[in-house]
Amino acid sequence: MAYDDLRSFLDTLEKEGQLLRITDEVLPEPDLAAAANATGRIGENAPALYFDNVNGFTDARIALNVHGSWANHALALGLPRNTPVKEQVEEFARRWDAFPVAPERREDAPWRENTQEGDDVDLFSVLPLFRLNDGDGGFYLDKAAVVSRDPEDPDDFGKQNVGTYRIQVIGRDRLAFQPVPMHDVAQHLRKAEERGEDLPIAITLGNDPVMAIVAGMPMAYDQSEYEMAGALRGAPAPIATAPLTGFDVPWGSEVVIEGVIESRKRQIEGPFGEFTGHYSGGRRMPVIRVDRVSYRANPVFESLYLGMPWTECDYLVGPNTCVPLLKQLRAEFPEVQAVNAMYTHGLMVIISTAKRYGGFAKAVGMRAMTTPHGLGYVAQVILVDEDVDPFNLPQVMWAMSAKVNPKDDVVVIPNLSVLELAPAAQPAGITSKMIIDATTPVAPDVRGNFSTPAKDLPETAEWTARLQRLIADRH
Amino acid sequence: MNDEHLECPRCAFDTITQLASSPVPGVWDVLQCARCLYTWRTIEPARRTRRDTYPEAFKLTEADIENAIEVPAVPPLIGRS
Repeated sequence: MAYDDLRSFLDTLEKEGQLLRITDEVLPEPDLAAAANATGRIGENAPALYFDNVNGFTDARIALNVHGSWANHALALGLPRNTPVKEQVEEFARRWDAFPVAPERREDAPWRENTQEGDDVDLFSVLPLFRLNDGDGGFYLDKAAVVSRDPEDPDDFGKQNVGTYRIQVIGRDRLAFQPVPMHDVAQHLRKAEERGEDLPIAITLGNDPVMAIVAGMPMAYDQSEYEMAGALRGAPAPIATAPLTGFDVPWGSEVVIEGVIESRKRQIEGPFGEFTGHYSGGRRMPVIRVDRVSYRANPVFESLYLGMPWTECDYLVGPNTCVPLLKQLRAEFPEVQAVNAMYTHGLMVIISTAKRYGGFAKAVGMRAMTTPHGLGYVAQVILVDEDVDPFNLPQVMWAMSAKVNPKDDVVVIPNLSVLELAPAAQPAGITSKMIIDATTPVAPDVRGNFSTPAKDLPETAEWTARLQRLIADRH
Repeated sequence: MNDEHLECPRCAFDTITQLASSPVPGVWDVLQCARCLYTWRTIEPARRTRRDTYPEAFKLTEADIENAIEVPAVPPLIGRS
């Protein structure tokens, strides 16, 4: 089923036993972040957390870890909560083929109920803001769907971008904003700043669960996130017109913040504990002036803890990174079977592929590095045979241990591009990248002694089903 | 406000502004350094609110702030580059 807002999804999580209400009073710091951090340390099916009794606040409602387990990710896609991760990725890829699904415009958005404008804007009065990690420079909005348009083509719906970026609250009506150069909003900002113009922006908080997934998804520049949300939801995405910017924003948002990125201005930002498991910051970043805030009555503030993996961020951007890479690789190389890009948003990727001829797997690895996402990520690629499941790490380790002759199968390419947050880059933004070819060589690559592999016995599949049945019948 | 700590825990600057105060009166304030923009709630642990216990790795100097690189760099104005 498709959820039109965060609240209806929280209801489902609660019915499915995947939302935990913390009713005891907690401190805003360090309790909220420490609890969300702890969800990543209690196993794979951790619940979302909901807090409404926070010291010093009278009216705070805070949702954390909404996507932070495979059960919650499955429910976000309308799948049974126990759907295995590989099946979730395959279903995601299947639904992708319905792209584009036109959105549905509804102008009765519930966030129209309340408004702050101009000098009355005070983000602290609308949002129960809090710190996530010790070294963070302040309080962040890190799970927003941020909408911007191409200043040279403002009427192009596809080029209108919806993305997730880190946003530091640096005043009642001021935000510091991080556009990574590889991301679409950085292109919008560059075009506006070349003309000396401010870039209008809409920041939407507390969205339906598929909106959060598409906002963090590496899509082509002219592909609409709303049309992808429609494909993944199996129903048109509901959108509404933001009153100040006129941008298309989610109908169901809890809060819509509108303003401009002030042209040609930079101010000190961060640090912020990032999805790489390291802080980044101490740099001068663009600044947003907030001119209008629209919000639902009793808004729910949704936030995301991130730090040393795994955290909610890894569940949120795991499958949505695998599928675009799979689709882009398969477009030219139908031999590609599956892509596991779930490690640090695809800084490391495992690809299973059949081989057209000797050397083919290495070509697939190089192509992964030159996809749009690969330009900023894919610093390490492991290639495995078509019968190795890239989501099954013991199988991948077997392939690496048995198939790799390091001298010829490990290729390191110097001085390639990577996002500046990558901790191992030197200098920031530049790294070497590595291909580990753990596939079985095929002609004319005749290296190694692979002619007699010990495959599963022909009868094993039948016995697998039989054993599973016998084990299930015992209970 | 805790007057005895009116110094930025991170960069030791002494101009501190108040961004917010608790909806329940008198429980906490949110303060901000006017120079490095470090923002903290007065009831946070000492490792985040006191200069003498703030982690060395996250301290900033005036030079750090002045020399911080711009990301992304401001592009040349079209026609003037």
